Amino acid sequence: MGNLSGNAYALTVLSPIKPGIIADEQIAYADKVRSILQGWNGLPNSPMTAVPQTYLCRYFVLDNVYTESQPGGSAPDTLNDWLPVVPDWLRRAAMPAHDQLKSRYLVFSANVYVGPSGDIAPYLRGMWQAIRKEVESIWQYCYGFDEVKDADGFAAYIQRCALPASLFFVGSNDEPLPEQLKALYIKQQFARFAVDNQGLPTATLRQNFQAFMKQIAPHELATPTWEPGKYRLP
Amino acid sequence: MSNIAGKAYAMNVITPIRWYTAWLNKLIFWVALQRPATLKGLITLSLIHYARWVIIGRDQFPHVHPSQPRETLKYSYMLFFSNFNGSWDQYVDSFTFAIPSGLDMFWKWNVRYSKSVSLTPFHKYIRYNQLDTLHYYNAYPLATSNDVKSARIVKAKLLDFDSATRDASDDDFAKQYRTLLRDLQHDLGDMYPTPIVSMSAYQVERRQRWHEGQLDGSKH
Repeated sequence: MGNLSGNAYALTVLSPIKPGIIADEQIAYADKVRSILQGWNGLPNSPMTAVPQTYLCRYFVLDNVYTESQPGGSAPDTLNDWLPVVPDWLRRAAMPAHDQLKSRYLVFSANVYVGPSGDIAPYLRGMWQAIRKEVESIWQYCYGFDEVKDADGFAAYIQRCALPASLFFVGSNDEPLPEQLKALYIKQQFARFAVDNQGLPTATLRQNFQAFMKQIAPHELATPTWEPGKYRLP
Repeated sequence: MSNIAGKAYAMNVITPIRWYTAWLNKLIFWVALQRPATLKGLITLSLIHYARWVIIGRDQFPHVHPSQPRETLKYSYMLFFSNFNGSWDQYVDSFTFAIPSGLDMFWKWNVRYSKSVSLTPFHKYIRYNQLDTLHYYNAYPLATSNDVKSARIVKAKLLDFDSATRDASDDDFAKQYRTLLRDLQHDLGDMYPTPIVSMSAYQVERRQRWHEGQLDGSKH
């Protein structure tokens, strides 16, 4: 399956947004979704920090599909230049067609750890349990979301809106997120240890190293470690 | 808009593809999946965290409720989502310089694809078809893709060293410690925040400065 690469999963969701307008605010549903998502950028950190096993994810609103803008330049154009007998309709027929979506879509794309099962449903249930309020605040404007009442309903709904990836490339690694964060913490701490302990007598170095290993507790994933979304160092 | 989260940039590109050639693109991706050697070029671009290509058939846009109008499109569409480190130009240019033929293979059936060489038309093509992200979340804004990969190595080697030297003499400990540092030269390094780690981080710190009276509240 294209969505899966090792233990990592590429979730691509397009949820159709209803065409309504919020009367009080005179704002279209799609723009309300946009406004809420923009609002998340002003919070101390993203609500997605609370969703377990999320490596990276993004949200945006797809208003319409695009038609490549480059004008002309196809073979009938050139023929039309050289031979005026080549009809204009032939030249125009080679131009890109214009497409128009009938709904706007909330796009949610996430790279997450799902483990060897390859099942995305537990991740989605975890997302509902962690940030139900935020999920409802944006998805409430989408078709079919009225029927979502619980974590199972949310997982089923999102999977109906999901699209299969043709190719998923993992350039990083597919370890569980807490493993990745712990390793990053250790890397950072050890780089500092190596600098701070240069040129010491072996006995002191060894003593310091033992204290360092105790302090970083490499087998304890929960703490000390980097919390998800950490963007500042002490 | 928030295309940046720490050291990662979120790129979204949507391009039309003729419905009757979309299967060819799917076939190319399928072959790439079956023969991982074809992705060797992508692996050399170590600045990528995760990337994906999704082909939506013209009648395959999600339809989840009877009241939702069905799409009637002339084209199928290819979505490309990437998470990478560095700037937009560095990323797009590295594709052009490192794997131009691989890039052309993935996009060649897309309508009016300009080819990856020369650079300026390719830049225009991507820029025109790119969509901005509204909210971008990164679990490790301080780290690059290479940091994530090297952290795994550092942790494993550190644990090996710890267990191998527990009963060693001081001399042996010192020798192995130097070997460890030499082995890890490529993987060690301090991770610092970028000037703007994320739009949200930027907002938070701006608010903090405002509270501390360093910004004029009336202007911000």
